[in-house]
Amino acid sequence: MILQSLIIALESLWANKMRSVLSMLGIIIGVGAVIAIVSVGTGSTQQVTSRIANLGSNMITVYPRTARGQGGRVSSGSSQEKFSLELADYMEKFCPSIIKVIPVKQVNGRLISGDINVNTTLLGTNLDYADVNNYEVDTGNFISKNDDQERRQVMVLGSQLAKDLFEDANPIGKRIKVNYDGQVYMFDVIGVMKEKGGSMGGDLDDRAYIPLSVSMDKLTNSDFVTSYIAQAASSEKAATAVNELKNFMVKFLNDENEEQFRIISQDEILDTVSSVTATMSIMLGGIAAISLLVGGIGIMNIMLVSVTERTREIGVRKALGARNAHILFQFLMESLNLTSFGGILGIGFGWGAAYFLSQYGNWPMVIAPLSIGLAFGFALFIGIFFGLYPAMKAAKMNPVDALRYE
Amino acid sequence: MSKVIQIEQLKKTYHLGKVEVEALRGVSFEINSGDFVSIMGPSGSGKSTLMHIIGCLDYPTEGKYFLSGQDVSKLNDNQLALFRNQKIGFVFQQFNLLPKATILKNVELPLTYNNTHSKNKKRLAVQALEEVGLGDRLKHRPNEISGGQKQRVAIARALINHPSIILADEPTGNLDSKTGGDIMEIIKKLHDDGNTIILVTHEPEIARYGKRIIYLKDGVIDRDEVIV
Repeated sequence: MILQSLIIALESLWANKMRSVLSMLGIIIGVGAVIAIVSVGTGSTQQVTSRIANLGSNMITVYPRTARGQGGRVSSGSSQEKFSLELADYMEKFCPSIIKVIPVKQVNGRLISGDINVNTTLLGTNLDYADVNNYEVDTGNFISKNDDQERRQVMVLGSQLAKDLFEDANPIGKRIKVNYDGQVYMFDVIGVMKEKGGSMGGDLDDRAYIPLSVSMDKLTNSDFVTSYIAQAASSEKAATAVNELKNFMVKFLNDENEEQFRIISQDEILDTVSSVTATMSIMLGGIAAISLLVGGIGIMNIMLVSVTERTREIGVRKALGARNAHILFQFLMESLNLTSFGGILGIGFGWGAAYFLSQYGNWPMVIAPLSIGLAFGFALFIGIFFGLYPAMKAAKMNPVDALRYE
Repeated sequence: MSKVIQIEQLKKTYHLGKVEVEALRGVSFEINSGDFVSIMGPSGSGKSTLMHIIGCLDYPTEGKYFLSGQDVSKLNDNQLALFRNQKIGFVFQQFNLLPKATILKNVELPLTYNNTHSKNKKRLAVQALEEVGLGDRLKHRPNEISGGQKQRVAIARALINHPSIILADEPTGNLDSKTGGDIMEIIKKLHDDGNTIILVTHEPEIARYGKRIIYLKDGVIDRDEVIV
């Protein structure tokens, strides 16, 4: 009986092709939207998370919090003045889950090469910085131990910065003037980094890297660093390491309320990113689900019109021996066919949209089988749910009245 | 001769709002197998109601109706559907073909509802259409053929399950007199082949094709004549 109903339903849908396609449209768009949105959500999340993971795993950054001194002035004895080089060694010593702490002294200066000048961040650090960040040299060398010890005025350029300053020319060996705090310093370029992209707190490619000793002793003449980058022994130990660091800092700064420092770990950033994208996905998915629902109401509307329009046909079918169940299944099959074809077309549509968006947004295309199953299953459910009432209305018709219907 | 229809004190009352309309007020008759009976009467006489009950499309309010010896008034919806499918062949004034289906599909329709295998379905339908002279129009749709041809399709459809009775409700009502005559000749031939025919009409000359005429008036039988 179901097979017959299916055939009858298909014939009837085929006879009303235009109407069938139009009533499917809601379902096509709904299913397509669900699949595309879920795909975009997962694809972009994967891209962001892989970029973050790419920054160097197990990284924890410790910053001083801006001290709240009186009259808007940084009060003496602020936490910044406790962020010394030695503190890095203490961190390494007292936090067993941390294998390395790299002090960073960051300044903003103007780089001048010929008639091009660029305002950028100069990051004073040492060899380990590149290591911990999975940051590789493209040409030349990174800052060496000797560079640091002998306070050589050498500089390694981020890939974008190298392009900005020298375009296609080889920057190695070139001299760059650095204007900082009214003074001019000369630096030799010794290396250019590979392209890396965004990271915690800025784009690595836009920066210049100089020896820590140079930035502390020559440029700023300060004993204190901007931040520390700590590397946990492994990603599993990252959380422990964060706690150890926190306890250490609280004791060291005698800062019970954690007002003077801030610790940011990659896990934390990943969590934030994924919670943001999850919220977005749920919101957009909800909108897509509503469009599916609206599509379902459209199907019910069309089916009700169809039942009324075909009252006489129902009467004839009943006169010829169709049982109520035959009629019920016929109309149920029609709505189910509409939504399942709509669902299949919607999967194709969503797939195409996901592909196009992934090309456009430059993230990997990920089609979760679950999202296909869910969207298609929901479409079928809508076909049954919204098809049932019109089908029951058709099945319950009195044959005499139906035959007389004009 | 066996009795294909036995009707005893059949009553049908419609409730139209608060008004009760007695369409049938105690009708009794019997029809033998192989008979050709015309039911006549002015509009409002109850002949349509009687036809619906004979056709198992409606229930009587009171009384008994035996079709092939079975009490129809006790059947449920599904059993009635089965009876309509197996025992009754309808020929309507409005033809009542499905407009979007081909003629072949229209004739196959009753077979669809009794699970006839699709191969047999087509063979039987083609055979039935050939018998009414439409073997070359299988793929046409109802709007592509004339009124007379439509009614012949309807007759082919009515015959396909070899019903106990053929119930024709004003079969010539929508046709010109010549085409109507042709249709009546086909129905007469069906009777000659041994089919039981019940013809509902208000036209005396059409009714006279029958061997017996039952006159209804105000919901009761006025006269019951056998034509010699």
